[in-house]
Amino acid sequence: MKTLRSFLDQLRALGPDELSTIDRPADPANFDVTAILEQLSLEKRYPGLLFCNPKDLHSQPSRFGLATNLFATRARCARALGLPPERDKMELSLAYAELERQTIPAVTIPAAEAPVREVVLTGDQADLAILPIVRHFEMDLGPVLTMATIMQDPDEGFYDLTFIKTFYKDQPRRAGLTIHSPHHLRILKKYEDRGQPAPVVNVLGHHPAFFLGSLALAPWGANDYDVIGAFLREPVRLTASETWGSDFLVPADAEILIEGVIPPGEKEICDPFGEVTRHYQAQGLKQAYDVTAITHRRDAVMQDVFSGHEEHWFLGSIPKEGSMFNSLQRQHGCVEAVHLPNSGAARFTAYISIRKDREGIAKRVATSALLESWQFNWAIVVDEDIDVFDEQEVLWAVYTNVDPSRDVDVLKNQYNIFYSAAGHQKVIIDATRPLDTVFPEKIRVPPAAMQRIKLSDFGL
Amino acid sequence: MERIFWVECRQCHGKFYCDYTLRHAGLQLICPFCKERFLPDEATSIDERWRS
Repeated sequence: MKTLRSFLDQLRALGPDELSTIDRPADPANFDVTAILEQLSLEKRYPGLLFCNPKDLHSQPSRFGLATNLFATRARCARALGLPPERDKMELSLAYAELERQTIPAVTIPAAEAPVREVVLTGDQADLAILPIVRHFEMDLGPVLTMATIMQDPDEGFYDLTFIKTFYKDQPRRAGLTIHSPHHLRILKKYEDRGQPAPVVNVLGHHPAFFLGSLALAPWGANDYDVIGAFLREPVRLTASETWGSDFLVPADAEILIEGVIPPGEKEICDPFGEVTRHYQAQGLKQAYDVTAITHRRDAVMQDVFSGHEEHWFLGSIPKEGSMFNSLQRQHGCVEAVHLPNSGAARFTAYISIRKDREGIAKRVATSALLESWQFNWAIVVDEDIDVFDEQEVLWAVYTNVDPSRDVDVLKNQYNIFYSAAGHQKVIIDATRPLDTVFPEKIRVPPAAMQRIKLSDFGL
Repeated sequence: MERIFWVECRQCHGKFYCDYTLRHAGLQLICPFCKERFLPDEATSIDERWRS
């Protein structure tokens, strides 16, 4: 059975480059965790981290461990999905897109057998401050939970999972939620229109494949538990929640769950928060969240995502690249690869390579690409000999192939959810070699010589 | 880009920014540095320049 602890065991066996265990006490709310992560990132080191003795928000030793940075390399994400870690580029994205089309129905087990119900906290005991919640960046409003949440459609009964932020509000059972996901918002609106509280459950620890699956671009009405089963390659085990019983099923093998409701019409001040774009989200009025119960496994480990850094970016790029490739290939038939680079926060920018056979096709592909997500601002199209996962190659194509007067287009008054100077504009850059004029050739050493000469023969 | 405005906290003088919907909403902002609550007009300074 796949759980967070089974994955941590797998990483531990691979050594400290994959999982480093930290026994020294650390205070996540006082930036200890993110200061470590930032320094590792600056050194281009991306181990998963398991803090065994973090403090809670009462500045006491937490009853929970804290795991973070688990998604910080594409190879580790591949491993989480049961794929070879060396196939971490386009093959990983295409494998993700393949899994996205499959389902494995979830199964339900009695609450008495559910690990996540080993400890049940309600009333005054359900205190958010017992958690080792991370404060990530200096202007953040406070500690923020960064993992996935579950909502249930009140009419059709399907479950929707996505990542949203939960802001600790210096109160034991009142928090703030910032929901951007279209499906979560659609479900929330149904409850608001009826004047009813909307149930929301925070999942604070599960196998990484569970969370990667929660980001699948499943259509409205799909039961995300069944979609996630395909990513786990086994059924998600569900059990009755503490608050709503069998009317709202929760993942039985989660480490920690927070059950609560969004009370109709009630708002809380949330943000700033250091977002995926590496800017702070502006302070605003968002949904209030009232906690009804916290349930957890014994010796549970809480998970967190280091926002605005590698793991946050890969959680965006891996799910989108494969589905975008499939969509563009269906429409145009000439697409070689798609990459959402970290330099664009894996949200703003798409690099697309094509087999160009006529002028104008690159801009058609780029136009289609921009429609794939309302987060995109930039679509850059290159020839198939450019590796879109190698940013230096992509930018070389931009700097050498692009005639700014002809190959760059700006589409105005388009919607984008993130703050950037581009705002609601979209930019298309055709960085392919022109076919309608003579043009220089890219240098290369003859392939026969590359084949014939071996570095080892020259003592290198 | 959605409009924002910067404020300077009246207590700790920390600076942060808010969505412009809060500028005249009659709601107290919360300083992320010291948790002081204050209305935008009570801020030590406001920068709401905007290039439309």
